[in-house]
Amino acid sequence: MTTEAKNKPKVAFFDFTSCEGCQLNKLNLENDLLDILEHVDIVEFREAMDDKAEEYDIAFIEGSISTPSCVERIHDIRRRAKMLIALGACATQGGINAMKNLQPIEEVREAVYGDEKYRFPTLPAMPVSAIVKVDYKIDGCPMSMPEFLKVLKSLLAGQEPIKPDSAVCVECKLKENECVFDKGMVCLGPITRGGCDAICPSFGQFCTGCRGLISNPNKNAMLEILTEHGISLDEAKKRILLFNSYDHSQSMPK
Amino acid sequence: MKKYQLNKKQLPSFIDHLKKQGTVFAPHKKGDASYSFAKVVESDSVILEYNRTLNSIKKYFLPPRELLLSYSRKDNSYKKGTIGKEKKIFLGVHSYDMKAVLKLDYNFTEGNPEENYLLRRRNSSFIGVSFIPDEFHFSQSVGMPVHDTDGFDIYLEKNDDGYTVKIITEKGEKLIKEFNGLCDALDISSNHIQFQNKLKYNYNRLPEVFEQSWNAEVWEEVAKRCVGCGTCNLVCPTCYCFDVEDNMDLSLQNGTRDRSWDGCMLNDFAAVAGGENFRKSLADRQRHRIFRKFRYITYITGEPWCVGCGRCTAYCTAGISIVDIVNQLCDEYEQKYLNRPVEQSGLNLEGL
Ligand code: SF4
Ligand code: SF4
Ligand code: SF4
Ligand code: SF4
Ligand code: SF4
Repeated sequence: MTTEAKNKPKVAFFDFTSCEGCQLNKLNLENDLLDILEHVDIVEFREAMDDKAEEYDIAFIEGSISTPSCVERIHDIRRRAKMLIALGACATQGGINAMKNLQPIEEVREAVYGDEKYRFPTLPAMPVSAIVKVDYKIDGCPMSMPEFLKVLKSLLAGQEPIKPDSAVCVECKLKENECVFDKGMVCLGPITRGGCDAICPSFGQFCTGCRGLISNPNKNAMLEILTEHGISLDEAKKRILLFNSYDHSQSMPK
Repeated sequence: MKKYQLNKKQLPSFIDHLKKQGTVFAPHKKGDASYSFAKVVESDSVILEYNRTLNSIKKYFLPPRELLLSYSRKDNSYKKGTIGKEKKIFLGVHSYDMKAVLKLDYNFTEGNPEENYLLRRRNSSFIGVSFIPDEFHFSQSVGMPVHDTDGFDIYLEKNDDGYTVKIITEKGEKLIKEFNGLCDALDISSNHIQFQNKLKYNYNRLPEVFEQSWNAEVWEEVAKRCVGCGTCNLVCPTCYCFDVEDNMDLSLQNGTRDRSWDGCMLNDFAAVAGGENFRKSLADRQRHRIFRKFRYITYITGEPWCVGCGRCTAYCTAGISIVDIVNQLCDEYEQKYLNRPVEQSGLNLEGL
């Protein structure tokens, strides 16, 4: 896909179960947005316009899959999209939504909808990739803007986007941050996938793991680090699962 | 060697004097309890009594992130990044960090000389300072005493009233010329700095241990506690690995080729096209890291490539200690090859 092609690639954005923060984040692009519009036609974007198209070159998906109608809709979008990209933690890994999977689903439904629960069929919260093929993932809660631009630029130039698979600590060291462990906090940076430029530790905050874990997380060792720093084992597991329940609750050490 | 006395209250004017001759970089406070080298703006914010800086002065010669070139796809052209010629004065460097620079000089000069490193390395002067070793330092155990002046132009040795200024090179002589804040050297002998030996063997015996350490058990043991975060690589003053990436701007025509530090503990490091990774396990990576410090280059140069700064241990969130790893290798070596039970080895760590 190159911009030399006469027709600009058709790009669409869809949201599923999420806070829509990622889409809002994207509207904040301002200057860059104009440059992007030079290269693409945005044909569907619920937060910004109301135009329907049949096919898309790139479909960006925000939010997790959590109801039977989500499943239907995502299949429909996948059929019409040449490329499908998940945006933000809810879409890439189930995100915070997937914490509900840790409780019996009927209890969750009751707690949320009360007597009306039968009107709202629900499923465990899932990342988009649990249902359809996802070509690229842009992580973060909200999704990382620099990564969004990077992936988009690579795709428009016909190149394969590179996905980092190293920990947030790497970016901390490149920026010569003082580690927040040395400020008396505990941090998930050592096993969390970088790419956010260690934004939280750079502002003196600990990493909550919003970008998901690296591909080989040593959870045992991470739990040991956290408990060594005065967190109970139970609390340590909860911290790791905050954004990572879908992928990692099954494999969490007992 | 010429010697003078620099009294404490003269330090800021000494730094001002240096600033007239070039850009001065020195340790400053960083965060709650850390230190970092930075360009000196206010002379009195410099801190010369510190345990270690987060990164070493390597960052000035091999920056964490660096633009190699900018390119244009439109006319198929590129332009290299520019590297300044300014005179740089590094003040307050510890002997092990100086040694690390000399080691990097070797790495970047042998074979294919690394242009950008060598360009940045020009016009640099180094003023060392003594330090009190803490629980993590073991530079003396790898052959670098606190007062080792190799590489320095001037060396500042702390005393009760300030510093003994030792002029090591002609360049150092020039740096202090016309500074009138120095007094005659005090009539004191160089103070002996307590440095508890931390390695079980003298460093010159380590090659025999490392020759037998490929299959040691310690690699798997350490890997159980290691999260593979790469911190130990990135903070190491003698690590020099990097990755190169192209970054386009939104015109999709122009972009930059950038490089940044990389490390052998990280997943992408040994990944090659086709999805293979030739050093998959954290045990294999840990062995590689330690062999890079005590075997591979050591085999060629005869010197350990670890300078004992203690950073990899002090900053490892999992508390993995390179000293413990090396000592455990010595133990395994004794048990397996010298058939000696560890507890009877009779070595006295204090006395070495
Ligand atoms: S602050 Fe967090 S991410 Fe940064 S180095 Fe420390 S543990 Fe790693
Ligand atoms: S530092 Fe951690 S919590 Fe913060 S944006 Fe990065 S991955 Fe998310
Ligand atoms: S810093 Fe520690 S935990 Fe991180 S890769 Fe190195 S040894 Fe492993
Ligand atoms: S291996 Fe560790 S102690 Fe040795 S020079 Fe590197 S960071 Fe310092
Ligand atoms: S191979 Fe590993 S130990 Fe060596 S310089 Fe590279 S990162 Fe450092």
